[in-house]
Amino acid sequence: MVFLAPALLTLVLTRLAPAVDTFIASLRDGGAWSLANYAELGADTFREAVVTTVVFNVIINPAQVLVSYALAVVLSQRLPAVGLWRTLIFLPMAVPPAVSTVVWGIWFRPGDGIVNSLLGVVGVPDQPFLTSPGQALYVIMVIASWIGVGYWMMFLIAGIKNVPAEMTEAAAIDGAGWWRRLVTIVTPMVRRQLSFVLVAATVANFLLFVPVQVLTRGGPAGSTNLVMYEAYTQAFVFNDPGPAFAQITVLVALVAVIVALQFRLMRGPAEQVRHAS
Amino acid sequence: MRLDMPRWARIPLAVLVAVGAILWLAPLAWTVASGLRPGNAVFRSFRGLNWRTFIPDAVTTENVAAVADGTLGRAILNSLIVAGATVVVGVLISAMAAYGLTAFRFRGRGFVFALVVLAFMVPFEALAIPLADSARSVGLDNSYIGLILPGVGNGLAIFLLRQFYLDVPAELAEAASIDGAGAWRIFQHVYLPLTGPAMVGAGIIIFVFQWQAYLLPLLLTTDPSMDVGAVALARLFGQYGVDWGMLFAGAAFLCLVPAIVLLVFQRTFTESVVGSAVKG
Repeated sequence: MVFLAPALLTLVLTRLAPAVDTFIASLRDGGAWSLANYAELGADTFREAVVTTVVFNVIINPAQVLVSYALAVVLSQRLPAVGLWRTLIFLPMAVPPAVSTVVWGIWFRPGDGIVNSLLGVVGVPDQPFLTSPGQALYVIMVIASWIGVGYWMMFLIAGIKNVPAEMTEAAAIDGAGWWRRLVTIVTPMVRRQLSFVLVAATVANFLLFVPVQVLTRGGPAGSTNLVMYEAYTQAFVFNDPGPAFAQITVLVALVAVIVALQFRLMRGPAEQVRHAS
Repeated sequence: MRLDMPRWARIPLAVLVAVGAILWLAPLAWTVASGLRPGNAVFRSFRGLNWRTFIPDAVTTENVAAVADGTLGRAILNSLIVAGATVVVGVLISAMAAYGLTAFRFRGRGFVFALVVLAFMVPFEALAIPLADSARSVGLDNSYIGLILPGVGNGLAIFLLRQFYLDVPAELAEAASIDGAGAWRIFQHVYLPLTGPAMVGAGIIIFVFQWQAYLLPLLLTTDPSMDVGAVALARLFGQYGVDWGMLFAGAAFLCLVPAIVLLVFQRTFTESVVGSAVKG
């Protein structure tokens, strides 16, 4: 127990106690038990933040899984210096998100920013990006994905490498081309890694905070006001943490339900057959 | 075999991948280039695009000096202190906990392990606001301890180390114990030397966690001299009339440190962390 005590103590103090704390504090109001904090969740700003967060996630999570899988398929080929290319794609994950956000914020400047100049080369007119309520959320998605997909890719590459070579070889002998092997053999075999990535991406993106706080402060016109930023504003800008605790509790509960659903959905036919046998 | 593409696609693919991977890092290359530009040239490089966007026509070290003299330099030093201390303490207590969970049989071991797993399933970002609240109430705001403590207990690091400790042959520990070695000596001389890669993996997990930390340090510090690098940089970015050259020199440093760590330990990290996540 001597060996366990320090780690256990810090885990309880910095992970488990604050979680319980949040839940209890969300149920307190003026020193008494109350649901007042939850009653405030009916306010328009919170409801809109939930809708924005859900829309954001419905788009970004499948997109990240797809892009990271495409990258994994390409970067699990036998290519010269493939290990180096993998590390380059993976690197943004280790850079502090605040730094990546600042850099991308400058690249996405409206007018003559670097991204606009690039688009100009192919004839696309100047875009407003972060200053447009219609585009800002998508720009945030691009930034978050540039940071995240390389990391998810690493898990999928490991999954692809785990597929027994005999299976793809046998299929190749039977005349299955590259695309067929990918769709019918490899993809079902990396289902577990794909669902891990989907779940991990979902958790990370539901709690996304940094790009919003650094670049848009929820704007323009509330178009990027994700729930984490809404809770932060509630607690520290309006200096009223009670409702923020209720918001976080609801957010975590929402994430837990969605993750549970994803696990069920991803346990497709292949898995059930394996369980039955 | 697995997924090898047709032979005719090899060379175009190799070129495409190399070009793509380098372009992927263009924003970081630009950050480093901007950190080397004289102050007035930095702002000009925000606009338009030509090959000079990535290769400065004049190089200066004045930005690096400005970082070292200013609040940003102080903040980066704080980041180094916090991340360094967290890695040392965090790896030690995680290794001890993993040892405690593998080498001994005791009542409630399953429960303790469940707590460890639960602790890394709780998304940390969601805890930052309550955690900052309680840290403030015990006077840990604006302090190194307050910044370090949340990083040292890392469920994922414990989980990873335990995976490796399970593979240490029990006979080795038994032989040592017959020779009269105590639990601490067995840990020190049998487990630690055999599991170097896992310790590197755990160290990188803990380091990256702290180097990326943003929301909690943002809430915990009101005194600018206690800010960590990422927070100080974001604050500067929001100010008018900021010295862009200095800002980018600081940003480049904040990118290069983890980049170097990952490039050096790339193989160990992928094998230990990604490998065990895929198996586990």
